[in-house]
Amino acid sequence: MTKRMNSGIQRRYLKYTIALLILALLLSSIGVWAYMTKNQRGIIVDKYEFMGEKMGIALENLYQKSDEVTAECILYDDVQKSLQANGLEEVQKSGLSKYFAYVDMEDVEEYCYVDNHQNIYTRSYSKVSYEEFADSGFARMLGEDYSTTRWFWTEDTLFGTKEPALFIGRYVRNMEYAHEPGMLFFKMKDEFLGRILKSGMNVTNEVAVGILDAEGRVCSLVMSEDCHIPQERIAEAVAKQDGDGMILGGTEVQGGVVSAYRQGDAGMVVFTYVPESVLNQGLTRLLLVLGGIYLMVVAVAVNLSIYFSKRFTKPIQDITEAMTGFDGNDFERTIELHTNTELDQIGHSYNEMLGNIERLLQEIKDQEKELRTSELNMLISQINPHFLYNTLDTIYMLARINKEETTMKMIQALSKYLRLSLNKGNDVVTVEDELENVKSYMEIQQIRNENLFQYEIDCRVDAARTRVLKLILQPLVENAIKYGFCDIFEGGVIRIIVEERERYLQFRVYNSGMPIETEMCEKLNGLSVQPLAKMKELFPDSRHGYGVVNIITRLRLKYGEGVRFYYVAEEDGTSCIVEIPKDGEDDHEMEADIS
Amino acid sequence: MGALCLSMAASLAAGCGVKETTEESGATEEVVIPMILTVDSTTGNRNEEKLIEAFNEEYQGIYRVDVEWIVETEEEYRQNLKRRNVTDELPAVITDLSMLPSFYRMMIQDGRIEDISSYIEEDQEWADMIEPVVLEGCSEPSGEVYLAPISTAAFSCSGVFWNQELFERAGIETFPETWEEFWYCCERLENYGVTPLALHTEGTGWAPMLLATAELADSEAGADFMKELYPESYQNENGLRLANTLDRLFDYTTDDALHVDFDVAYTNFFTGNAAMIPNGYWMIDQIPEGWKDKVRFAPFPGNKLISSPETFGWSIVSSYSDEVKEGAVEFLKFRTRMNQAEKEEMFNQNARGLSPAERDYIQAYQGNPQIVPNYQVKWNSILQEEILGEILPELVQGKITAEEFTRKEDESIQKFEEEQ
Repeated sequence: MTKRMNSGIQRRYLKYTIALLILALLLSSIGVWAYMTKNQRGIIVDKYEFMGEKMGIALENLYQKSDEVTAECILYDDVQKSLQANGLEEVQKSGLSKYFAYVDMEDVEEYCYVDNHQNIYTRSYSKVSYEEFADSGFARMLGEDYSTTRWFWTEDTLFGTKEPALFIGRYVRNMEYAHEPGMLFFKMKDEFLGRILKSGMNVTNEVAVGILDAEGRVCSLVMSEDCHIPQERIAEAVAKQDGDGMILGGTEVQGGVVSAYRQGDAGMVVFTYVPESVLNQGLTRLLLVLGGIYLMVVAVAVNLSIYFSKRFTKPIQDITEAMTGFDGNDFERTIELHTNTELDQIGHSYNEMLGNIERLLQEIKDQEKELRTSELNMLISQINPHFLYNTLDTIYMLARINKEETTMKMIQALSKYLRLSLNKGNDVVTVEDELENVKSYMEIQQIRNENLFQYEIDCRVDAARTRVLKLILQPLVENAIKYGFCDIFEGGVIRIIVEERERYLQFRVYNSGMPIETEMCEKLNGLSVQPLAKMKELFPDSRHGYGVVNIITRLRLKYGEGVRFYYVAEEDGTSCIVEIPKDGEDDHEMEADIS
Repeated sequence: MGALCLSMAASLAAGCGVKETTEESGATEEVVIPMILTVDSTTGNRNEEKLIEAFNEEYQGIYRVDVEWIVETEEEYRQNLKRRNVTDELPAVITDLSMLPSFYRMMIQDGRIEDISSYIEEDQEWADMIEPVVLEGCSEPSGEVYLAPISTAAFSCSGVFWNQELFERAGIETFPETWEEFWYCCERLENYGVTPLALHTEGTGWAPMLLATAELADSEAGADFMKELYPESYQNENGLRLANTLDRLFDYTTDDALHVDFDVAYTNFFTGNAAMIPNGYWMIDQIPEGWKDKVRFAPFPGNKLISSPETFGWSIVSSYSDEVKEGAVEFLKFRTRMNQAEKEEMFNQNARGLSPAERDYIQAYQGNPQIVPNYQVKWNSILQEEILGEILPELVQGKITAEEFTRKEDESIQKFEEEQ
């Protein structure tokens, strides 16, 4: 780890990664918090709103049931007869008093039917007189409705308990005639409404549910002991809403939210109050889980970042170490990378660069060595020409004295040949001198190989003013004699043509000997595109092709890549063609030589 | 009665929910007008269906009459009306009120139905459509109009539908024009094995009462008696004549006529078990396929038609919102216009395009008949709805005399007065 952390890239990578990670987690925390705050609360509110709606529907059904039951009572024959002019007989009255005890509705605590003859029909033990009924004020409870079933929460002044209770009342009208209506009242037990609320509380005991009447009074309430509900605020919120059905859905009130469902006919509202503690408890748990997950994510992310960053920084470190540790001598210290990334290419390029540097260094060394050798030879050659020429003159005089014509001719040719070869070390000469040189060489060879060949020189340029690197043609002629005429003993022809071809000055050396082999021809022609350092490797044996390598090397060093050198196998011989740029003949080097 | 029932049935309105008044329809609110109408249990036809479809099509997006179709007899429907009233579940438009005189009075007294006189006064177009005799029949003495004057007198007459094939079987070519001929006709039909009359005793005894009251009106005193609203007594010459006629009519009817409602008589006539059945114009639309050519119509003997233009008894229930009531008024106006158009079409139509019964009806209506008021809108409801159904079978079976019959009728008057 310590070693890994030494990488600046890795440190920065980790720094940025952790920063990004923290930023991402921070933003996601805010987002999750905001989302969950809204949605979690929404889910909880929806849940209890659904519960409230369910209780509301139960309230609707209960009202519907009470409406049906009271309608059944109204349509009952004896009830109808009780409203007619003659009313009921005593026996019928007694029966009717009992009839209401068997209505199909649960939780009826008391009932009271008053016909239009001031007769009261109640349970036998209730003992309510008409005067008591009139004093109770219940006759006004049904208002102006024609025959609507009404629910009202009021103090029980009818049966004398004085306790508030739910009453269901309805006018009872005669079906046939316009008599005064009777009135029917059912006093309901607390369980009547309580059962609705308990059905809701089966879902949870964390919230409060209750029923309000049209005045906002609490008719029934179910909640846990430690729950406190703002009844007045809830009643106010309910009172502000018109209409029936779900009138409040998750409305904020003091310390919680309330949902409410109004049953319009009954005038009752069933509400659900959810305290803030219930709304938030899920969020706290969520945050703890979220925190744990985030810690794990950070730990995993850091470790993975270190692991993955190492895969990139380690090769970079290797490259860095290799490059900084290179002392200029140890070319064996290459880099081996296998990351399957661009880094592998960098390593490979570094290795190639190292090899190239090594080769270039070697070439420079070799060239320096050759340069020193040739300079030395040059110096030696420059010291001795006068001695060599004097000696050759002496030999020439001796041969003349002895009348040895051939010797004289050969010495004369050698003398001409050496004049160019040793001319003050200048490497650029006129075409005239170059041709003179090769001509001397060919004459010497003719003397040595009698009748082997004839030569022709066709110079189509101004030979006295056109310049060329010296000693180019002689090795080519030497190769022509050595390889071209190796299988013949006489009748060979060497033809040298010098001419201008577009931007080039072309030298063509043709020999009529055996055409060059295709393989050799391709090999030699390929030299021109090879790096200088590699050319000698292609002809390690100096006896075969070393002369050609020497010429090409010298031409390329002199004229650059513009030089063209190639062999052509012809039907009756072989041509070697050298083309040099015409504009390269007057370079500064040559000028310096001339001066 | 059965005839009226069926026609009423056609217009039968029973109560349904009260509060549903409007519903959203696209960008505008369509006012929904609840109504209950009956389905003819014999033919399966929905009464007044054409009217409902035409109105809903014309007022699409503005008003819609939302009908609850129920299969009930006229008697069941009327009891249904009463039940729905006391449980506050009437529809916005109800029918048959004129068939329930005491109930109708109660509805007025309790403020349960709407006085539409102001609507008529403010709508000259509608007022022009209404026949004066119809408006008069629908108006209270003090000027209020609770029963919609939607009908035309031409469509409210009752006479006798007769089976031409059965008559021809007995060698009778035409319907009898006098009561003597009528009784002779009944005898002759019986002699040829044809039951003359399709009758019943339940409900308000509609079919036999039509014949008996028409026969009663054959005398001047009887005609005056039939014009009385809530007669003071039936224990008189008119009452006895009515009872005797009823007794005699049941000598010529089917065996299953006692303790059954009009639907049994209707079935007996349209199955060929009886040759005659009294009923109103509205039954022409209910003649089954295959019977149109052999069913004929005739005025009661003595060229009498029984008619009360207010018979249909359509009213608007007051407990609905103003917009629903306005829609209901528009619906009643539409019904008036439709009836007028039908009347003009029928009376202007080429006789070839009409069925024999329709031709007979037009001929009878235009034959200067004596119009006898419908007993249903004149007599107390206790007699019609409770007493007749009990005493008519007893009279027919000989359990009570005509005198006892009239005495029991008078008891209903006393009871009715007590309940009032």
